Amino acid sequence: MATDTSTASRQRVKSRVTRRSVLISDAIANWVIRIGGLGVILAVFGIMVFLVDVVRPLFSGAHLVGQHEVTLKGTSGRVLSELVDEYTTIIVSVEATGEVVVNDLGSGRLLKSNSFLTGDRKVTAFSSTLRGDDVAFGFDDGTLRLGRIKIFAEILSLANVPSGLTKLAGNTLTDGEAVYVPIENDQVRKLSVSVTLEEPQRIAPEGTALIAVDYRLGGTVERPTTSFVSIDANGAVRLSRLETKRNLLTGKEQTSLSSVELPSLPVGTDVASVLMTSQADQVYVAEKSGWVSRYDARDPSKAAVAERIRLTPEGVRLTTLGFLVGEQSIVAGGSDGSVNIFFRLPTPGAGTADGFALTKAHELAPQPAAIVAFDPSDRSKMFVTADAAGNIWVRHSTSEQTLLKLRTGATDISAVSLSPRENAVVAVAGHGKAFTFSMDAPHPETTLRTIFGKIWYENYPEASYTWQSSSGTDAFEPKFSLAPLIFGTVKAAFYSLMFAIPIALCGAIYTSQFLGGRVRGVVKPAMEMMASLPSVVLGFIAALILAPIVENWIGAVVLAFVCVPLSLFAGAYLWQLLPQPVAQRVGGGAKLLFVGASLVAGLYAAIHLAPLFEQVFFDGDFRAWTSGAGSSQPFMTLLFWPIAFVGLVIFIRTIPALSGSGRAGDDGAREFVRWLAMLALSLALAAGLAALSVWAGMDVRGSFVGTYVQRNTLVVGFAMGFAVIPIMYTIAEDALTAVPEHLRAASLSCGATPWQTAIRVILPTALSGIFAAVMIGLGRAVGETMIVVMAAGNTPIIDWNIFSGLRALSANIAVELPEAVKDGTLYRMLFLAALTLFIMTFVLNTIAELVRLRFRKRAAQL
Amino acid sequence: MTTITADDVQQADRDSSQAVTRRNITIPLKARGEPALWALGGALSVGIVMIFGFLLLVFYNGFTTFIAKPVAVVTLKSGELVAGEPTRSELYKLAPDAVKALAPTDAAKIEARGGYEQRTLYRTGNYDLSGYDFKWVDDRNVARAEFPSDVLFVERLEWGAFVGRIKAAAIDGKTVSTPTAKDPALVQAHEAALQRLQAIRNIERNLIGRVNYDLERLRLKVRRAELNYGPTSPEAAAARANEVEASGPLRAQYELLAAEAQRIRQIDQKNTVTLADIAGKEKTLPLSGLVRFYAANDLTLADKIGIYLSRWWEFLSSDPREANTEGGVLPAIFGTVAMTLLMVLMVAPVGVITALYLREYAQQGRLVSVVRISVNNLAGVPSIVYGVFGLGFFAYGLGSSIDEVFFLERLPNPTYGTGGLIWAALTLALLTVPVVIVATEEALSAVPRSMREGSLACGASKWQTIRNIVLPRAMPGIMTGIILAMARGAGEVAPLMLVGVVKLAPTLPIDAYFPYIHLERSFMHLGFHIYDVGFQSRNSEAGKPMVFVTTCLLIGIITVLNLAAIIIRSRLKRRFAGSQF
Repeated sequence: MATDTSTASRQRVKSRVTRRSVLISDAIANWVIRIGGLGVILAVFGIMVFLVDVVRPLFSGAHLVGQHEVTLKGTSGRVLSELVDEYTTIIVSVEATGEVVVNDLGSGRLLKSNSFLTGDRKVTAFSSTLRGDDVAFGFDDGTLRLGRIKIFAEILSLANVPSGLTKLAGNTLTDGEAVYVPIENDQVRKLSVSVTLEEPQRIAPEGTALIAVDYRLGGTVERPTTSFVSIDANGAVRLSRLETKRNLLTGKEQTSLSSVELPSLPVGTDVASVLMTSQADQVYVAEKSGWVSRYDARDPSKAAVAERIRLTPEGVRLTTLGFLVGEQSIVAGGSDGSVNIFFRLPTPGAGTADGFALTKAHELAPQPAAIVAFDPSDRSKMFVTADAAGNIWVRHSTSEQTLLKLRTGATDISAVSLSPRENAVVAVAGHGKAFTFSMDAPHPETTLRTIFGKIWYENYPEASYTWQSSSGTDAFEPKFSLAPLIFGTVKAAFYSLMFAIPIALCGAIYTSQFLGGRVRGVVKPAMEMMASLPSVVLGFIAALILAPIVENWIGAVVLAFVCVPLSLFAGAYLWQLLPQPVAQRVGGGAKLLFVGASLVAGLYAAIHLAPLFEQVFFDGDFRAWTSGAGSSQPFMTLLFWPIAFVGLVIFIRTIPALSGSGRAGDDGAREFVRWLAMLALSLALAAGLAALSVWAGMDVRGSFVGTYVQRNTLVVGFAMGFAVIPIMYTIAEDALTAVPEHLRAASLSCGATPWQTAIRVILPTALSGIFAAVMIGLGRAVGETMIVVMAAGNTPIIDWNIFSGLRALSANIAVELPEAVKDGTLYRMLFLAALTLFIMTFVLNTIAELVRLRFRKRAAQL
Repeated sequence: MTTITADDVQQADRDSSQAVTRRNITIPLKARGEPALWALGGALSVGIVMIFGFLLLVFYNGFTTFIAKPVAVVTLKSGELVAGEPTRSELYKLAPDAVKALAPTDAAKIEARGGYEQRTLYRTGNYDLSGYDFKWVDDRNVARAEFPSDVLFVERLEWGAFVGRIKAAAIDGKTVSTPTAKDPALVQAHEAALQRLQAIRNIERNLIGRVNYDLERLRLKVRRAELNYGPTSPEAAAARANEVEASGPLRAQYELLAAEAQRIRQIDQKNTVTLADIAGKEKTLPLSGLVRFYAANDLTLADKIGIYLSRWWEFLSSDPREANTEGGVLPAIFGTVAMTLLMVLMVAPVGVITALYLREYAQQGRLVSVVRISVNNLAGVPSIVYGVFGLGFFAYGLGSSIDEVFFLERLPNPTYGTGGLIWAALTLALLTVPVVIVATEEALSAVPRSMREGSLACGASKWQTIRNIVLPRAMPGIMTGIILAMARGAGEVAPLMLVGVVKLAPTLPIDAYFPYIHLERSFMHLGFHIYDVGFQSRNSEAGKPMVFVTTCLLIGIITVLNLAAIIIRSRLKRRFAGSQF
């Protein structure tokens, strides 16, 4: 390189013109470095932008993609129920006359028509299952027919499509009954409908019309059960069950019908509808007046009305009543446009026969006119409601949000349905008018309120902060509240800092102010070595080695928090007994050895006194004690002890006569005795305080002490100490060392002792640097992942109990993201968790950085 | 610099205090602040005790794991026999109810100990016979413990360890009854069996693997032709014809190899050994199923050293088995090293260029200081956040696009569109880039201004100055930064869990198939190995020794990297001290 420059300079002397290659390489370097540098900086900010971009759809609700209106041929428009296929290509409507009509939704063309009627019977009641494809008709002669509407979708290759098809709207084709839709890869999707119906079953006596019916399929795959509940014109409520048994020898199927009559309704009850659960254990009879009678039919032979309750206010009629998927939420629509969601919850003191009561859990935004139609989704808690003014609102129960407000303009909507993929709403109004709204609602279950607020979930007695993302079935209500995770993060950080701050900061002060250069040259790298321990190792040791030991020796661990400070102070007071010349001569590393020895003595005492300690303070068994056994008074005495001690010290300081300032406190023995006396006095004071607070009904258990589990915050806090202490220690030590030397020299030369210099001169000057250290340590603790994954037990609960587990944001991401489906709600929620972490640490680090810069400026000025 | 002055003051401080004592002026005890000083010192000693205790625990356990331990045969008071390596003993607290249920004499003893009882954990092995491989034995239940010299400790390929005796062996079909562990015929037959095992593995993994790879490539060619030209096109037909033609010989080769493997297997089946556990329950298995066996209570020191070394060698050089709780960690070492090197390749130029920009090119103003604060902050952003970003942006974003353009024929199986070596390295590069930037900036700012000005004054261009004057002098500092980044990267696990680390990678990222380096493959990592074995395995107790050894290895690698950084830093300082203008 040296020759390179020399030749370059020689040439320049000759020509005084810079070589072209130098200019070019300079320009290239200039651009590469500029672009590269700016690129990295942009990329770094790109992280945040990317996270925000992934998270944003969570809050976007839903938006309308397109809408379409068509008149369905061959329908009257008085529709009991409608059914749309997965691709919203065809619509099946069940007419009030009992006809089942199939139309192409794009063109409105009639594809097929089936009648459930035989003879001159009239349909008086109708019901369908949640998916809408199993239907039941009740007739005016007391019979009932079950049917099944099945939509078949199959993929054909282009070659297998029959010829001679006629064109419908767009590029769809039909052969008169089935619809063919070309899709990608030269394939065609064929959609066809089959309607089957079973023989009529007699339910009510001849001539008594069935006025309401509800129909459910339940049981298991091996033993399916079909049950229905019906109400006849005389007010008789019947619970019927169809069981199909296959004869093993003949292979013949035999269907048997068994009916149980439930207590009948009072005469003159104006029944609006009837609802039942799949297990046929609960039956709800809704009256138009708004009253609902709930039958407890867990034992059908003893079924009785368990509860009678008004679901609408006085004067408001109940117009629709239905379950959401999972049959835990009941949606009640009123004539005033109100839509409310009720849960059946165990309610002590409700005065109902079975101890359960219908409780209003969600009150949704009311629509401008009476609710006339309702359809739940069969895979989530989404549903649609239509009102008499032609408005259709798409709603979600968990988030209570109205996703879309659609307007049809028709005032006679008779049925509405949400497509199976939740991407379209189809409403049928008078004269066969059908309105199709395509929409996009990828994350209906999340709003700011569901993520950070209290939400009342199904099967929960009250609104709560809950995280439970895993879903076994479609009926599961995902619970995405970040609150318990943020709490877990804060809790882990808080307890680990409670442990780490004193050690890191006190250690830093001692290292920088009271240790000689050589000892410090060993101690500081040793402490910094902690930083290079991979956190997965810390987590493993904490969870598999430390946690069982701590669980076994919890008495000793708790006692160590008492014994170690006591033995250190005892060491200090004994040290003061030494003649001062001797004491002064021993300093630096040698003194640290003595300190270490007294620490070890404290630990030794803790281990050996543990059984006795546990006997006296925790009723013999610590873990049982945390769960509520025994009295908390002894432990509270222990808690009050340091507080009482500090209070006593302050009290004595304020009274000059007591503090004995008249004599120089140079008598070590006197000081020692005084300290012992103070300890005893404060212990007595603490005991009194504890007795008083126990008498006042306080119990420390249930707050930050509670039931013990093996993987708990105490262990996490200790392990996290390893991760947090070195960085705080290093920064604090650097800040203390960076305090200008002349300050310290001045203080010492004025006669201050090293202790006085350290505490009154150095510490205040370096305070902002120390604050920065704490902030950065906090940032570390918040983001630490492997330790909390492994040692924290991962239970997303909100309580301050130091002996219970927690689930932190970071651990939650690590555990759940590998299984999350890309772009699903959970995936985006976990990105939101990452964004939250990012923002939390970014704020903490920025504060720290700003404070540190200010400190540097100030230190430079001094 | 400050350290030296601080020392001076300390020294002065001590001198002055001695002067004070000489003048016999006593300092008031309060001013000395002795109790507070002890509290500060106590905190420091807690820190020191923590770090050394931790390292001691890890290294003690790590280095003693592979020592051949004696096998105890314990007769319980109930008459039951327990044979196994005593692993550790501890005091544990019995539940008060359990104490009450004991015989009065035992209960009294435990009461006297404050409710604590001594117990020992035996590694009993024989999981296939008994359903457990570790057993706690309470001291009060022990009738006697012996160390008979004929008890063997056998490590097997499957089902973990076996503790018991050899009942019989069949060598080339000839039965040998009750041979000893050191029987030369048996040892020889065992070595031959292991070689056969190696041969079978070679055939199955390398040779048959090659054939399968070629077949798969033919299939993909057809698929690509179909996708590019349509399934009915002449190109696709040609590809299909080619597949039919080329796959014939390949299949024949496959049959041949399979037959050869079968032949060796048949020999293997004639070499078996029948083991019996301490109670006499027997189990026959092929000789090649034994990894190592020895009479645990009849070992010379040389034997022990031999076993110790051979276990270390196995650990470092072989594949894991039994859900990673046994065998070696070679793929994990390989994955860790490959990922870290790849990361350095990416982070070093990018970090240095950014630092150069910030320090040498950008206008020093408010913007640059904001950027500098941000870069400093990024070092504090949790690693899991980078993992999330890596998964979303690199794997699902970039990777999926690459798949759609270049690997269409493999879809819907993702090639780059899922976690992989390259994405893990990129993610960690992003994570460690602040470390390199900060270190490089410091190194650049340590180059005296006068040198730059001298160079410029001599007529060198800016880039010439940087390349020939600034960078060489800053190089040690930059190296330190890069090594620290490597140390940080090698120890990170959380982000890797999201972007490509797996518990068991079937293939290494580098192999004999074109293009030889497979950046898209998932890989194993020592850190994740620790997590996986400690937490995801059937029995965390069985995995513990393995975890400790892996931990030692990982800490060892990181410590070596950190030490290198420290040494380079001190060299750099010395060089500067010598060449101050």
